[in-house]
This record gives sequence, C-alpha cells and structure tokens, in this order.
Amino acid sequence: MDLYQTLTEMWPSLWPTLAAIGVILAFVPVLGLYMTFIERKLAAYVQDRIGPNRVGPFGLFQAIADGIKIFLKEQIIPDHVYTFIYFVAPTISLMTAMFALVVMPFGPVPVDYQEGFRFVVAPGIDIGILFMFAISSLSAYGIILGGWASNNKYSLYGAIRSCAQFISYEIPLGLSIIGVIAISGSLNLEKIVAAQGGSIWDWNVFWQPLAFIVFFTSALAETNRLPFDLPECEQELVGGFHTEYGGIKFVLFFLAEYTHIVTVSFLTALLFLGGWHFPGLTGPVDGSLGGMLLRTFVLVAKVGGVVAFIMLLRWALPRFRFDQLMGLAWKGLIPLGLINLVLVAIVLTLELPKHLLAGTALLLFVAAVFSSYQLQRSMNQTVNARALNNGVRGVSA
Amino acid sequence: MPYELKVFEYLEQSDSHLANFLAQSESLSDAISSAGDAMNQAGWSWGMLIPIFLGAIGYLLIQEGVVRGKGFIAGGIAAWTVSAGIALAWMPVSLDSFILYAFCALATGGGVAFLTARQPVYAALGFTTAVLSTSGVLFMQSALFIAAATMIVYAGATIIIFLFVLMFAQQSELRAYDLNLTNPYLATSIGVVMFVAIAVCVLEPGTIPSRRADATRPYSEATLGAAEGTIPITAGTEMPQVPNPLVPSIPDSTAELGRSLYTDYLAAVELAGAVLLVATIGAIALATRPAPEVNG
Repeated sequence: MDLYQTLTEMWPSLWPTLAAIGVILAFVPVLGLYMTFIERKLAAYVQDRIGPNRVGPFGLFQAIADGIKIFLKEQIIPDHVYTFIYFVAPTISLMTAMFALVVMPFGPVPVDYQEGFRFVVAPGIDIGILFMFAISSLSAYGIILGGWASNNKYSLYGAIRSCAQFISYEIPLGLSIIGVIAISGSLNLEKIVAAQGGSIWDWNVFWQPLAFIVFFTSALAETNRLPFDLPECEQELVGGFHTEYGGIKFVLFFLAEYTHIVTVSFLTALLFLGGWHFPGLTGPVDGSLGGMLLRTFVLVAKVGGVVAFIMLLRWALPRFRFDQLMGLAWKGLIPLGLINLVLVAIVLTLELPKHLLAGTALLLFVAAVFSSYQLQRSMNQTVNARALNNGVRGVSA
Repeated sequence: MPYELKVFEYLEQSDSHLANFLAQSESLSDAISSAGDAMNQAGWSWGMLIPIFLGAIGYLLIQEGVVRGKGFIAGGIAAWTVSAGIALAWMPVSLDSFILYAFCALATGGGVAFLTARQPVYAALGFTTAVLSTSGVLFMQSALFIAAATMIVYAGATIIIFLFVLMFAQQSELRAYDLNLTNPYLATSIGVVMFVAIAVCVLEPGTIPSRRADATRPYSEATLGAAEGTIPITAGTEMPQVPNPLVPSIPDSTAELGRSLYTDYLAAVELAGAVLLVATIGAIALATRPAPEVNG
C-alpha cells in the first residue's frame, strides 16, 4: 500500500527518468554495432579500400550480420580460468561504461528543470562531472579482473599496463577540467553548457585551448584507443586482456570501449564545444519541440564529429612505447594542467578579462612543445655521448 | 497499529517460541516501544542497547557454534533475528530508507567478504563492494560530493593499486598478530563500545560540536546566515566569479561545501594539504634507489 502510494506520488518525476533510461539502454548496443561499421568504413577510406559493401544497401546491414554472428558463436570457457571473475569482468566493464551515462545530457536540458521528458536520466545533479569521473574510474576493474582471471601471462601484462595507464591519466583528466569548472562556476553539466550559451566565442575551447588538448589526450588514453592501446597491443601481447575471451563476452568488452568513446565525445562536446549551442541557436533552452529537436541534432552532430576524429586518429598516429606513454602523462600533461589551473585561478581572482586566458594558454602550449623538443634532443645527446664512451654506436639524434 | 506491533505479529507467525518469549516479558516490550517512541524523536535512549547487545550475543553464539554445535548457531541466528526485528521497528519506513538499508547490508556483506575471502583478489573485491555501497549510502543522504570523492579516491585509485599489489603478492603463513586479530570476545566488546559511542554521538543532540562558522572571515557561513534565516546566497556575498547572466543562481550544495571548507575550516584544509605534500615527498624519497656505482 505504502509503496503504491509512493509510486503514484513519484510518477510525474519518475516516468521521464524511466523513459531516458529506456532510450539509453536501447541505443547503446545499436550504437556500438554501427560504430564498428562506421569505423570499418572510415578505415577503408583511409587505406584507399571500399570497406564492407555486400550486406544490404551500402553494406548497412553488415553491422546486424556481425551482431548475429557474434551472438551465435560457441561459448568457449578455457579450463584454467578463475570462472567467477572471468564471467563477471566483461559485465563490470559494460556496466560502468553505461552507468556513466546517467548524468550525461544527450539533448538540451533547461536549467530550471520543469516536469516532463528531459534528455538526461538524472537532471540537476550538483556533481555531474565528478560523478562521471568517479564511475569511469571504476572501468579499470573490468580490464584488470578480466586480465587476471584469464590466468594467462599476456592477459595479465595487458591488465597491468591498463592499470598503470588509468591511474596516470586520471590526474591530467581531472586537472584539465578544473579550469572549465571554475569559469562556469558549477560542476553540473547542464549549467556548464548553459554558461557557454552566448555567442560562439563563449565556448570553453576558446578560453581553455590548453585544457582542451590535455583533456582530449587523457580522455583518449582512458578509452584505450589506438595511440594508447597498450593494454591490448596485438604485436606484443597477442590480444592483451581479452586474449581468452570469445563470442559474446568479447563483445561486452568492446561495447564498453565504444560506449566509452561516445561518453568521451559527449563530454568533449558538452564541456568545450558549447554543447547544444550553435551560432543562431543561443540563449536558454525554450520548451518548443522544434527547438529541442534542433538542439539535439546540433549536439549529436558535434558528438559525431568528435567520434569521427577519434576514429581517424587511429590511422594517423602510431602506438606509444610504454615509457613514452608514462612520460607524456607525468612530464607533459600534468605540469601543463597545473600551470593552466594556476592561470585560471589568477585571472578569476584578480578579475582580469577572460580573454587573457586564451592567449596565455596557447603561448604556454607552444613553449611546452619547444621545451620538450629541446629536452628530447639533449637527452639523445647524452645517450649518444655515453654510448660513444662505451664504444657502441649511438642513437641517431 | 504501531509498526513495532506489526513486526511482532510477523515474528509471531514465523516463530512461535520467540513470540511466547516476547509475550511473557511484558516489561521488555514496554521498554522497546517507549524506546521506539524516543527514536522517532531522534534522541538516544538506553533501550537501544537491547538490539546492540542482542546482536553481539548472537555473533558470539555463532562463533562458539562453529566449534561446539548447531544449537549455538540456531540461538545466535535467533538473537540476530530479534535484534534486527527490534531495530527495524524503530526505523522510519519509506522507499528511500529501504534503498538505504540495502546499501548498508551490501556494505556489511562486502566487509565480511573482505575479511573471510581466501583469495586476495576476492578480498579486494569485497572491499570494493563495501566502499561503493558506502558511497551509495552517502548518495542517499545527499552528500553527493563526499560520495563521488570516496568513489574516485578509494574505489578508483586505492583499491586498484591494492589489486595490483595483491595479484603479485605471495601468500605467506599467518603471523602471530594475524591470529590474535581473530579473538571474537575482544572484537565483540570493542565493536559494542564503538557502536554505542557512534549511536550516542549521532542521536543525542549537543554531543557533536556544532560547525564553527567564523564570522570574521569573508564568505563564511556565519556571515551568510546572519542576514537571513534561510539558505543564504545573496548577491553581495557570492564568491567572485565571472558573472554569467545565462546561469540562474540555484543553491548548490557542493558550492556550499566548498565555501565552508575554504573559509570556516581553512586551517584544517591547509594542514591536510601540508601533510599530503610531506607524504608525497617522503614517497619519492623512499622510491628513489641510490644510484649504483659506475665504474669509470
């Protein structure tokens, strides 16, 4: 009785939440399948091939065929694995990836939070962005446990690499958004977007170019995509943490990875690229259906652009060596993030014009690139000098 | 019908022995119901010792029962059931509180798994469960920032490092202090004292010192609260930030927390920061091996 009464009272605020959950649950698997298709097509164009084009018009049903095939695969369970964790690991991976979408607006959300359908599962969470980071920091569990439970040294190596990578890149990821948070004055994703609602020059990417680069790099590292895909590096580790996984269990890992890419792209669009705002589509969100749909389209188009950029990066950049990976995080991104943070603090405290941020951040980035180049050269010279002393041929500088 | 009576009715249906016992001890049930009233007014009453002691006795009985036989275990479980029944009778019933109790139970289960698991990795997973459920409890209490911080710091970083270490740690034999740790009587008495202390502190008004709002500092909560009685965000006292007319000023609990931390508790924050800095330097000093002797 009590429960029934509570439910009827809660219903006006409950149904939009349930509807939003339904949208996310329905879209994530489909999105994952079609992202593999788009990735294959893009890869084909980069490599001057045609790509999948046999199943359906333009090969569009290839994704569905892949899905059916992989669902019907035989379930192989290697007999040396720790069965319980072996099965739980892919689920943890996907669960954390989808759980992060709870606070993510996938369409325009007015910050006065009226009743009715909203494009977010949990609107008005004060700590939106922190919640997202908290959940996505858990996604390392899936990989680590999967690698460990496989009881295979290549899997374990992949798991260890991912562990070190996650912990290192979480620091610059956190540092880079503090500037954005300070400028917007809120941790709430909807308010951060609303703060960018003026002209195109209000978008955070123009105030915080350095933070944008640091954020995008470390977010890419957290998704285990190609320049950073050491946990699954095929040439060294067979398949990395998922060597022993096949069929649907493997798909769960990969759905998680693609969900991560979508999350990262959404975050980039929301935090730095103005969210659902566009020249001509500015100001607070109005409730009209056409305006809502148009804004959703703008946001999704921005996200699609970021996703395509991430996919093209895969064919543009080679994989890092492990010491380079660690060096990039600890010697490059973290100091840059810290300096950016100090800059933002100075500008906000002294109430200097916000325009100063853009120029100084860009200058700083150029200085960082130049100094790292110098450092690399001097290091190579030291190596060469030592090598010459020992009578060995040196590294060509 | 008061809720505790409903619980007793339920208990009567499920366990007639227990119901007989409860019916006979009229005074006990009086004490319980008066304690329940007191609980509803959110205060401490000594009747609350009953479920705590019953739980402790139940635990000891089960511990003994592992060695001595099934009768003890049955007694222990019965004691736990009565304790849980009494405790439930006192607790406010709503959808929220049921979710909260589910998180509490999960946290306790995670702790038990952490202590009893044989494989170090399962122990770490139990610990993770406990930490995440604690975050869930914090979320249900609207302590959003603390909950997210707990998840990032403990579940996200610390336990992953634990896992990392545990995967490579060789299992060694039990040391003397490991064996001493499992003395149930010592553990139970310490647990009872802690439980009572926490319950008194939380429920008795005036035992926790109220927040030291410092009126001499700018932006302090004391200066904010003095102006109006409500949640005070007024134009004159807002933290300096780039004014943005597009964002309506809705009171932000996280903003309030930050304001309080960096004004009223500034000294504590600075001290904690200094301690962390020293710890970081110490870690670097420990991690750096002395450079090996180079010939020539």
